Amino acid sequence: MSNQTNSYEIPTDRAYDREHHMWAQFDPASGDVFVGIDALGLTALGDLAYVTLKDVGKSVKRGESLGTLEAAKMTGDLIAPVTGVIFARNNMVVSNPGLVNQSPYVDGWMVVIKPSDWENESVQLVAGDDLPGWVDSEIKRYRSQGWID
Amino acid sequence: MDWRLITDDGVSASFGLAADEALAQRVGLNLSQPTLRLYTYQSYCALVGRFQNVENEIRVGYCHEKGITINRRPTGGGAIIMGADQLGVALTIPGRGDDSYSHARELMSNFSDGLLCGLNQLGVEARFRRKNDIEVNGKKLVGLGVYRAPSGGLLFHASMLVDLDIALMLRVLNTPFEKLSDKEIDTVAGRITTVRRETESNITLDEVRRVVTAGFASAFNVNLVPSGFASDELADIEKLEQGKYLSEDWVHQTTAVPDSNGSAKVKTPAGLIDVSVTTAGATIKAVFIGGDFFAAENAVADLEASLRWHTGQPEKVAATIEKIFQNRGSEFNGIRPEVMIEAVTKAVARARVAESQTRADPYGCYVNPGGAYA
Repeated sequence: MSNQTNSYEIPTDRAYDREHHMWAQFDPASGDVFVGIDALGLTALGDLAYVTLKDVGKSVKRGESLGTLEAAKMTGDLIAPVTGVIFARNNMVVSNPGLVNQSPYVDGWMVVIKPSDWENESVQLVAGDDLPGWVDSEIKRYRSQGWID
Repeated sequence: MDWRLITDDGVSASFGLAADEALAQRVGLNLSQPTLRLYTYQSYCALVGRFQNVENEIRVGYCHEKGITINRRPTGGGAIIMGADQLGVALTIPGRGDDSYSHARELMSNFSDGLLCGLNQLGVEARFRRKNDIEVNGKKLVGLGVYRAPSGGLLFHASMLVDLDIALMLRVLNTPFEKLSDKEIDTVAGRITTVRRETESNITLDEVRRVVTAGFASAFNVNLVPSGFASDELADIEKLEQGKYLSEDWVHQTTAVPDSNGSAKVKTPAGLIDVSVTTAGATIKAVFIGGDFFAAENAVADLEASLRWHTGQPEKVAATIEKIFQNRGSEFNGIRPEVMIEAVTKAVARARVAESQTRADPYGCYVNPGGAYA
């Protein structure tokens, strides 16, 4: 399932952090949340050259850093969309950051978090019927700010 | 609107870097006002980019012998030396929540304009090259970087070469040159310039600082009010300096993306093309194009700069080279773009092969190499 808007693929099977363009996909079977960067955020950043991720077992808090990156356009932090403990991390993207640009939603996932408050924090993410309007407004915002052409 | 201007000189690497990062974080939280900081480091410091491996970039033994401090910037890009003749320029402004500040690319353009405006006052005709250089006739004069703090605060950083001891720089940095001869120094001097060289004067750093201040006031339409750090800012800087920038874990951290080198030579009727590249994974970090063909030095420097921090994907490398040749092909005097593409892509491919042969990847997908600074 995907929402193809202005060539930015935003799958509708997951939720998104409005500000930091991180996606969060809840797995009902395990209660875990897979996390990565969405296509629009990646377009704004450009090709990733380096990625670091916090270790498994470390706690992360929604809105705070779960790792860092250097992209074509800047360095900065990867911001956790949910609070919890890192259960797994994708070392493939650490050793080959280009994987995130090539496959942001499948091979380019970054960490799996065991969330501590998914029920309350997930409502702060954008998902479902709200996605198309949010994507359109974000594309307009990014374009007006010069992050994308 | 008033912004703060802080000038300080001879700062340690750890303090200088911690101050920039602390102000970026604080300005994103509205704890500090937008600040332009124009400062110099103790002579000398060697600063690597955020994700570079110190041992790959710096001759550590030489630095220890000469008392040159090594540290790591929050911004990306390549290694540099900083001292009394290199002006550090750090602008910290909020990155969100206020539309007047939120146009990031426009801000980068304004940031560059502040520097260009100041240089123009000195009669230096410089230009901004996306993503991270200000050049004069294809020669790099200023390196630029952007760091986004977790708070959303933005740090625009520049290192402006008022002057540069190129021989010292080549002794400090690991370069492709096997020995340091006058020819190598001349080659690098052909790719870099300084304010003193461009103005043909012995202009002081303070005078450069004065015109850069005026340039920023004009580019951002603000009053720059001289001030110092507040006590709570100094406390945050101290905390960050002690916890991060004085930590060996920060300075000597390594990345999982290995550096690799590759080279290729292609004979053409117009002469030999000899290309050396350094890659970090799929990214080209640096390119050096030599050989015995005749070409305008600026055109070669332009091509090298266009390929720095560029993806190594062959089709994208080819597109960039073709674009340069469309504009400056005649300056390569008979070298055809497809031959240059062949040389560069071969060098990149060899670097990738070398990387795959030497890569030690003992970790599975769920096993974690350590590291305090993820």
